[in-house]
Amino acid sequence: MTRVGGVAAVKRAIAIVTLACALFASGVRAEAPPEKTRILVWHAYRAAEETALLMLIDQFNAAHPEYRAEALALPYDVYPSKLSAAIPTGHGPDVFIFAQERVSAWARDGLLSPMDADAAMMPGEFPEAALDALRSKGALWGLPLSLKSVALYVNKSLVPVAPVNTDEMVALAQKLTDPAQGRFGLAWEAGDFYHHASWLSGFGGKLFKEPEHRPVVDTPEGVAALTFVRDLMRKKHVMPEEPSAQLVATLFNANRAAMVINGPWFAGEIHGVDYEVVSLPIVSATGLPARPLLTVEAALVSATSEVKDGARALARFLVSKDASILRAKIGRQVVATRSAYDDPGVGGDTLLRAFRKQAESAVPMDNTPAMLTVWEPYKRALTAVLSGLLEPDEALAQAQRRLNAIAKPMPPPASPWPLLLLAAGGILALSIWIRRRPVRPDAPALYHDVRRAIAYCTPAAASILVLVFIPFAIGVGLAFFHHGEGRYTFVGLSNFVDILTSRDYRITEPMSFWFTLAVTLAWTVANVVLHVSIGLFLALLLRDPLLKFKGVYRVLLIVPWAVPNYITALVWKGMFHRQFGAISALLATLGLEPVSWFTRFSTSFAANVVTNTWLGFPFMMVVSLGALQSIPQDLYEAAEVDGASKWAQFRHITLPLLRPALLPAVILGSVWTFNMFNIIYLVSGGEPGGATDILVSEAYRWAFQRNEQFGFAAAYSTLIFLFLLGWSALTRRVAREPSPEAA
Amino acid sequence: MKRPLLGTALVHMGLVVLCVIVLYPLLWVVGMALSSQPGLQQGLWPLPAQPSLVNFTHLLTAQDAAGHFTFWRQLGNSILVATLTTLVGLTFSVTAAYALSRFAFPGRRLGMTALLATQMFPATMMSVPLYAILDKLHLLNSLSGLVLVYATTSVPFCVWMLKGYFDTIPKDLEEAALLDGASQGQIFLKVVLPLTRPALAVTALFSFMTAWNEFVLAATFIDDQLRFTLPVALQRLVGEYKTEWGLFAAGALLVSAPVMAVFFALQKNLVGGLTAGGVKG
Amino acid sequence: MADVTLRGVHKAFGDNPIVRGVDLEIGSGEFMVLVGPSGCGKTTLLRLLAGLEQCDQGEVLIDGKVMNDAAPRERNVGMVFQSYALYPHMTVRENLAFALELRKTPKAELDARVNEAAQMLELEKLLERRPKQLSGGQRQRVAIGRAIVRRPSVFLFDEPLSNLDAALRVQMRGELMRLHARLQSTMIYVTHDQVEAMTLATRLAVFNLGKLQQVGKPLDLYARPANKFVAGFLGSPGMNFLRGRVGKGAVAGDGFSLALSPRYTALEGREVIAGVRPQALTLSAQGGVRGEIEAIERLGTEGYAYLRTKVGTVVARFEGGGAELKVGDAWGAACEAASVLLFDAASEEAIAVQP
Repeated sequence: MTRVGGVAAVKRAIAIVTLACALFASGVRAEAPPEKTRILVWHAYRAAEETALLMLIDQFNAAHPEYRAEALALPYDVYPSKLSAAIPTGHGPDVFIFAQERVSAWARDGLLSPMDADAAMMPGEFPEAALDALRSKGALWGLPLSLKSVALYVNKSLVPVAPVNTDEMVALAQKLTDPAQGRFGLAWEAGDFYHHASWLSGFGGKLFKEPEHRPVVDTPEGVAALTFVRDLMRKKHVMPEEPSAQLVATLFNANRAAMVINGPWFAGEIHGVDYEVVSLPIVSATGLPARPLLTVEAALVSATSEVKDGARALARFLVSKDASILRAKIGRQVVATRSAYDDPGVGGDTLLRAFRKQAESAVPMDNTPAMLTVWEPYKRALTAVLSGLLEPDEALAQAQRRLNAIAKPMPPPASPWPLLLLAAGGILALSIWIRRRPVRPDAPALYHDVRRAIAYCTPAAASILVLVFIPFAIGVGLAFFHHGEGRYTFVGLSNFVDILTSRDYRITEPMSFWFTLAVTLAWTVANVVLHVSIGLFLALLLRDPLLKFKGVYRVLLIVPWAVPNYITALVWKGMFHRQFGAISALLATLGLEPVSWFTRFSTSFAANVVTNTWLGFPFMMVVSLGALQSIPQDLYEAAEVDGASKWAQFRHITLPLLRPALLPAVILGSVWTFNMFNIIYLVSGGEPGGATDILVSEAYRWAFQRNEQFGFAAAYSTLIFLFLLGWSALTRRVAREPSPEAA
Repeated sequence: MKRPLLGTALVHMGLVVLCVIVLYPLLWVVGMALSSQPGLQQGLWPLPAQPSLVNFTHLLTAQDAAGHFTFWRQLGNSILVATLTTLVGLTFSVTAAYALSRFAFPGRRLGMTALLATQMFPATMMSVPLYAILDKLHLLNSLSGLVLVYATTSVPFCVWMLKGYFDTIPKDLEEAALLDGASQGQIFLKVVLPLTRPALAVTALFSFMTAWNEFVLAATFIDDQLRFTLPVALQRLVGEYKTEWGLFAAGALLVSAPVMAVFFALQKNLVGGLTAGGVKG
Repeated sequence: MADVTLRGVHKAFGDNPIVRGVDLEIGSGEFMVLVGPSGCGKTTLLRLLAGLEQCDQGEVLIDGKVMNDAAPRERNVGMVFQSYALYPHMTVRENLAFALELRKTPKAELDARVNEAAQMLELEKLLERRPKQLSGGQRQRVAIGRAIVRRPSVFLFDEPLSNLDAALRVQMRGELMRLHARLQSTMIYVTHDQVEAMTLATRLAVFNLGKLQQVGKPLDLYARPANKFVAGFLGSPGMNFLRGRVGKGAVAGDGFSLALSPRYTALEGREVIAGVRPQALTLSAQGGVRGEIEAIERLGTEGYAYLRTKVGTVVARFEGGGAELKVGDAWGAACEAASVLLFDAASEEAIAVQP
């Protein structure tokens, strides 16, 4: 039988591929047998800091022949989630370097080994604030490596004497500001809470209400701090608008920003400017020093490490005096170890000393998950106020509402039985229905290819089943749980109920599911319409057989498709900058006012759509080009003879004949656009106030920026899925696509 | 057909303007890559006054402690992973799409819908369960695990494309080959696949790009510097406190250069391929 | 060369029976044409022979061997498809050589056979072209050539000429007949065109509704159709049918009467359908069939008039230009008694009476 031959061929092909995979895997996996015990160190250091770390690891290995420490440098963005995934399964590092921000959660989840005994071996070496930052539930969970906080950089040629209080600072800044020339007295990333926190403390504000340790932001102190910064930017104009890290660096290097608030990492970006670093000034209104947030980078030891002794030895070594001196000198780190500053090369370094001094007065950043929920609401408040959209008190009240919504109490645990019974009943009913359904008498004849079909589909089906549907099922399953305090609790449908009834917001408010859904729909429709119409229009132009340089145009116009979208999205973001972006420059040459793109919903949404249209039209252009080629030319000639206008030809020939070819592309394209996370996240970031967020970016925020509410995020994702499924069923019905059996 | 000179000129002018709009943002990437100083070029003209290749040389000559040229190693990994992803992904999708197009069996329509459905669940929720599954399969920290994941991700689009294309190939051809004495395997390899070449080019490109640009899963599943792919290395330049924009831009150009090369080589096929493939469901 | 036998073959698609119990013997070297209206199962029968479909019941024998489960390539049959089914990515030469290459035929023999086929079909100059660079007729010849090079014992043709224009069709018919004469192979040819069927066939098998109606030499079928369907299907314009009753020496109905040959006398009083070919029915002022002219087809030296009678439209022949005829005039038609055939009114089978 020939069928056997077909199956055999496919089997052979599968065997070859499997064999290739296996060979390849074994080749890559081959490793030298470990003679020494390996200690794995994970970090996200780069450049000088990485060099210093690697040197220290070499030194450690030389001093401890029984161990072989190895470093793995990871991208910062994926580092935390990788740790959370890897450590529980035992694949994680033995030692890893991370700031204190997640220490409590990790300690609670049992990912860390306590380090009290190790710290006790070096009494008096670490500032109490640094150790506090690494404590949770009474134990110490890491050894502090370096202290990071912002301080004031002053351009010495413009500011001979650094200001000691804000009155001096503001007066100086006003003197040095000339907006017409693009000169500013002050600059920092004012839209970022990390930088802003210094002023909050300077005005006497605290982020948490004790003893319940709840973030409270709508305090009088908070309003005062925010008003102070707002006035600097919007009333006194001594600061640039929408100041990004890049912009701050550019202005400082060009002597166009006299004073800059930034961290030790900024020193490496300064070129040709004579500068010094001093502590932040005293806030004149309160007489309190502006105390920046202190991040403590620490060496942490994994709870699942199999070489804990070695790992702790390595951690101790990294914070030892000699190692700290090397990290300070080579890695330019503001090391935590006190005795390192006895070394003249460290203690005498003005930059390190200045930051060390600032660190002594800094406020250690809270290490509980509650801290992680503060960033997004506060950032939204900052941008709203700094763009003039809201008054400080309104913005902070809004932020507080947001925080309350995020910190919502866990819904009451539900019994899983009703849902399980329902599911079981559903499955039973389904199987009975399948059983009872009359078997078509011709089934054997109609489905005579079943065996072959199984053979052909198995590789794809198996891999999709394991690598897509199982994770998918887990994801959907999570939607019925609440994740809090590191535990999952079954809460039945309450996540869905909360989302669909928009519990914390009116449905007309940006944070409600329905508002986000409406934005998502508008986003999808706008994009798909633009993609298709621009793509089709260009395809019609490029189809003209008489047009020269067709190939060149075609190649140039599909370039946006080929470049990774995370970089082009950031470029677009830069072009939309109100003061320095290319689009403002273009508007200026046309004699128009620059637009503050991300302060209004309409312009912010438009910026997203423009970026995504730029990215997406080439795909539709290529699809349309192809589809157009399948329309016989003689139809147009016939229409021409009939006296049809160009528009009528397009309307009555081109469009109807393109429909079948374009429709699936439109369906797939709309699904992709619906879930196009990168553009929203990177371009508008949801501004203003989360209004331009779409469902998928909301889901992401619930999972990663709002107290790890994985259950809630999963419920969002499930709703996205159900919505898209319904929508595609609808479109396909509307399109009256013949079923495959009928085809 | 003759068209007036003026019309032609207008069309060309319009197209040139469009090309400028399309390429302008990319010029910013080039500008960032060519500038030796951190910070931002301002105004309308994106290229720096003193272009420098220092970012490129820095990336291309970076060495790790053991003296490996990391860029080249990671480029090798990326090429390996993307190529194998393409091969495995195409093998999976070509066979499945052929079955969905040609064989009568229950669940065909369901299968197509299920494939579309895989595109609907946000990917962010999948990486942690995936990690656990790969762990069970002993495929963590191996490029083959990565290949398998990428290939699977690319299957739904590829199957949709290819199935549409297979549908346009007349069944007569296969029957003629059957009578000519070809086995099922020979029909598939000698008659069907050569005719599918354009659609194969498109889907190959798609699979290649899927693997080539991805970094979240690669960084999560791989624990070895020398097994990282290029986008992971590129993403390392985006830090907690600051981003190395010049290097990042240079890296992005280096990463996209091979894709563009493949793209340009395939673009003729691409047009034809999407045609008949007709992305026809 | 081989003979082909079908025994009790049944085939259904779903609930839809397409072939319903066909028995047919095709002798070695015959040119057998399977003819019938579309949907009659003739193409399915051909595909059953080719092995592209499996029959539900019955047996398919080629050269005396049961082939029910044999794959197409084990049957040694060549097929020419209605759509030609040329491989678009191969040149004409590659198309012709494909089957031989699959069989690993030695190069020299392969070339010889390809060249021979190309010469036979006048394709020598086109060997390096691809199918889309060929005209319809050329593609048709390549499709035939692809079957020829394999030297199959049976050739199967599935409406091969239906995509060609009328003139080319006539020419290709001639070529096919020459080819048959030259190869002396068994050829089985499916068509719905009765003219094609009549001209090509050495024997003809007429199908309707999945059943074999009649098989025989074309002229035998024309002259002695087994039933009303065969009678009506062969010949153009189609046979006239008039419902009536057999009387004395004549068959008569509402408004007509036709003389019968004496051998039908025994049937007196029976309800029948009388069939007369238009060619045998002459328009005349008198005549047993009366009606009004509703349309006239003038062909030059002869023509056909369509008479509206009480039992339906009847077509009758006239000689010459027919200048005297006018639509609306009342005319009659008559024929010789020998040319009237009778069919049973209920079963529609021909009523056979020994002369």
